[in-house]
Amino acid sequence: MDPVQAAPGVYEGAANVIAAGMLLIEFGMLRQALARDQIRLYMAQSALLSVLAVVIAADRNLPELYALAALSAALKVVAVPLVMRRLLGRTDPDEGEEAPGVAGSHTLSPASAVLAGIVLAAYGFFCAGALGIHSPDAPVLALALAAAMVLVAFGLMIVRRDVASQAIGFFTLENAISLAALVVASGLPLILETAFLFDLLVAVVVFGVLIRAHHARAESLSTADLTRLRG
Amino acid sequence: MSAALPIPVIQLLQVLTVALAAPGITGVIAKVEARLQGRRGPRVLQPYYDLAKLFRKEALAPEKVSWFFLAAPLIAVTAYLTIPLLIPVLTSYGLPLGYMGDILGGGFLLSLASFVVATAALETGSPYAQLGSSRAKTFSAITEPVVLFVVFTVALLTGTDLPYALAATVRSSAGQVIRPAHLLAAAALFMVILHETGRIPVETHTGTNEFGMIEEARAFEHSGPYFALLKWGSELKQLILFTILADVFLAPWGLASTQQLGAVILAIAALLAKACAVGCAVAVIDNSFAKLRLFKITEYVSAAFLIAVLGVFTLYLGGG
Repeated sequence: MDPVQAAPGVYEGAANVIAAGMLLIEFGMLRQALARDQIRLYMAQSALLSVLAVVIAADRNLPELYALAALSAALKVVAVPLVMRRLLGRTDPDEGEEAPGVAGSHTLSPASAVLAGIVLAAYGFFCAGALGIHSPDAPVLALALAAAMVLVAFGLMIVRRDVASQAIGFFTLENAISLAALVVASGLPLILETAFLFDLLVAVVVFGVLIRAHHARAESLSTADLTRLRG
Repeated sequence: MSAALPIPVIQLLQVLTVALAAPGITGVIAKVEARLQGRRGPRVLQPYYDLAKLFRKEALAPEKVSWFFLAAPLIAVTAYLTIPLLIPVLTSYGLPLGYMGDILGGGFLLSLASFVVATAALETGSPYAQLGSSRAKTFSAITEPVVLFVVFTVALLTGTDLPYALAATVRSSAGQVIRPAHLLAAAALFMVILHETGRIPVETHTGTNEFGMIEEARAFEHSGPYFALLKWGSELKQLILFTILADVFLAPWGLASTQQLGAVILAIAALLAKACAVGCAVAVIDNSFAKLRLFKITEYVSAAFLIAVLGVFTLYLGGG
């Protein structure tokens, strides 16, 4: 193998950089201690996804991706964070209390969580590498980044013991899958892409109900209370 | 038009530029920092006056220290002044002595300098100096893997580990600049530099607060010219790291490609401008983040490690 690797084109390079940025944001969520900051990171990640859609639309000349980018931005940068903030901000409307923190829900120290995340990401990378895809239409790197993001999102849901982080972890899972769909099947009909997007809304509603029910019963967002059996 | 300079003169100029500009860059950073905090701040030339004052003072050494205590500052400064020979400071083409060592060679020299200063500090028996050297060695051990992965990225990108080769690769096309491996490696290196120059995450590089003291504490027992050499050494280290970041990774443009006098003078101006720009960025970052507790340093380093490892991963699959 030639040790010196040729650079990809500017568009593909930019797409890969954006995908890498999304993975880094996923790692950033591992160490955030406030639900507010996690929602902010989710917004940033979703915004990057929309930018990526625009880059791919310009690169491959697919005008319907612009519409998808706008729709995805409206939904994931504006609507979902708004709903999440309302859910977390006023879990008890009568008292109007502050957003309950998710601090202290780490089961691992942030440094160990990041190291574990690196291992997961490596597994995702090498799995995607083992597929042996060599096609100009399906950049294997962005696909590998998406696989790594899926695994790290699972890791986030596992190492945090609060419902809010787990919900955010689940939503970023959807971001990762959208990323994979964008790079591998960017020519997918718009109606299908949109249908996937609206699946997210169902998840938001389900998690919303879950967060409220759990908070009403346990008076905290921590899932640690659920391990105790109730007679 | 203008005269061509002989190669040895350019080589000497690389060292002289770094040696003479280093305190000035520190002065610029101190000024910017003071401005950000709403103070007027010291003169930009203040570090030169400090050095001049210290060089005129009497040198004292603690009892029972060996010759090594006094030799250490000299060895450290010599090591720092050797590094500008190895990296592209003024020219985009390799100078004859530039191939004496690669990036690892430069890394060894930086570690050697840090090692002799730490050993000299240990010899004094002063608790603060020992605390400084023990902390410096512990934390440099955990940043080492990050640097190693950055070097791996460079090696995968260019097939060599020569700084000149990477700078030439980055200059060659826009695709090389925007590829994720290059950007991730540069970001990881920048995080290491912030840590190594005592900015982020725990160290306060000014003042004498021992909670956040790593490198500063090591020079406690030196005085006079020897202390001046240590101070100058840490300023040299800062400028060398900034030069590596700017001239090898981020912006290897504006270097002289010929031996013309005019081109070399332009390259000196470009280097100073780039170092000031990096310095301003460092000062802004330093002032916008709270310092962490000492043992939170692992969180910061793990973030840098993550970025460096991702850089290698993206290259492994190709197309990174």
